Amino acid sequence: MTTEVRVGGVGMTPFESDSGRSLVDLAAAAAEEALADAAVDPAAVDALHFGNALAEALDDSAGLANALAAALGLDGASADRIENTSATGASAFHRGVEGIGSRAAGGAGSDRTDVALVVGAEKMSAGDTRSVTEAISRLVHRREYAQGITLPSFGGLAAGAYLDRHDAPREALAAVAAKNHGNAVDNPVAQFRKPVDVEDALDSPIVAAPLRLYDCCPMSDGAAAVVLTRTDGGEPATDRGTEAAPAPRVAGIASATGTHAVAERPDPLSIDSVRTAGERVFDRAGIRPDDVDVACIHDAFTVLELIELEELGFYEPGTAWEATLDGDTALDGDLPVNPGGGLKARGHPLGATGLSQIVELVWQLRGDLPADRRVDGAETGFAINVAGFGNNSVCTVLRA
Amino acid sequence: MTGPKGETSEDRDLPADRAFACPDCDRRWYYDRRRCPDCGRSSADAATVRLETGAVVATSTVETTPPDVRAPNHLALVRFDEVQLIAQAADGELSPGDRVRFDGSHRLRDGRERTDPRLVAIDEP
Repeated sequence: MTTEVRVGGVGMTPFESDSGRSLVDLAAAAAEEALADAAVDPAAVDALHFGNALAEALDDSAGLANALAAALGLDGASADRIENTSATGASAFHRGVEGIGSRAAGGAGSDRTDVALVVGAEKMSAGDTRSVTEAISRLVHRREYAQGITLPSFGGLAAGAYLDRHDAPREALAAVAAKNHGNAVDNPVAQFRKPVDVEDALDSPIVAAPLRLYDCCPMSDGAAAVVLTRTDGGEPATDRGTEAAPAPRVAGIASATGTHAVAERPDPLSIDSVRTAGERVFDRAGIRPDDVDVACIHDAFTVLELIELEELGFYEPGTAWEATLDGDTALDGDLPVNPGGGLKARGHPLGATGLSQIVELVWQLRGDLPADRRVDGAETGFAINVAGFGNNSVCTVLRA
Repeated sequence: MTGPKGETSEDRDLPADRAFACPDCDRRWYYDRRRCPDCGRSSADAATVRLETGAVVATSTVETTPPDVRAPNHLALVRFDEVQLIAQAADGELSPGDRVRFDGSHRLRDGRERTDPRLVAIDEP
């Protein structure tokens, strides 16, 4: 009997620069929306997994999973907190999928889990700019920290190397920003809904040369949630899906760590964790990159979208920039990438980002979205959520 | 130079121009680790070596820096034989392929007591 894990319901709050809401309130709002979407009563939830990266550093908060369980009325459910910097949301999702899969087999210490609620939330506005910058800059190795290196520093070095090695024009990076901002215009939960064209991106202030402001993701508040359900070969017990389509199935999920100190990578344009997690997830899902109909790629910096697309095998090394300029990754292209705006424009509340990618894929695979937001006929969705500048990656494949 | 008994290279705060070296196999590394990446020997008594001449792989000038870091912060990814690192450059004039060495004495973050060298170009004949 094969156990399948399906995404029975999804929900998310708008991503914004300052939500004016507490962290638990944000998380609860997304969770309640997901439960309602799945038509699941809170009392039916067996396990809660809560992803958050920065609550201790910015919000002076602790015990978040228990606080959220109480707020939602999940008495008796198991609950835990997951942290994996920028990939916190996807790691929480991974934990939820594994929890259902492993517990289905039974064994010591294993309660059967039919329904898992996975929630990711971040309130980056809880800290002032100095404290947020400090908290994020602590994600790097301590010898990197001593040099004043930040995540945008890695982005600048990689972007310079990418343009130099592949003789690519600066417009290639700006085209990623313009595409993703354009995709966010009609996404009501996106943080930035104003169109940005290539010239705007090229004229924006330098952050870490050659990266400019519009090459970098923002700091955000927001939450996203999914309800995971299991089936054992028959009809799913809590799989509501929609009238148009059933709940998407988790066809594969995989994580991998990579080099912690970015400088130690033999090739600055190679990210081991991305490649390894990608190979694993394609193997587990039994598909190849060209089977993917829509992809959510971790574009914390525009250059990362290009590097990840190449590392994952969607494009040959040094060609993703040309594909982007040719429109291949646009909403109506051969491989629509970040149809909801990506981290770039939808926003990047660390704990919620990976789950917001799953929410976007579910909307796409269920055909929930209006025509100008939808990838027509999408049956296979892919997501990658990356921690730090690639020291940990989580890849997911969903099938309609 | 050896570390005090019980420490690993993770506990040792080296100057920017120093790397660790395995006493057994002479493998070099820059970013602290508990064991030699080649032979697996504990790094507790790893030697340290001065990095002499490297080649620039990539550069970036960072305008948006943490409050205690200079702005702009000129950075370079540099390869010193088997060791590769990112460090502050003295100025923004470096380019990929340039030969560099560490030089000078600078406070890399405000409030730190210690000083470290920065990368400078080597004038080729």
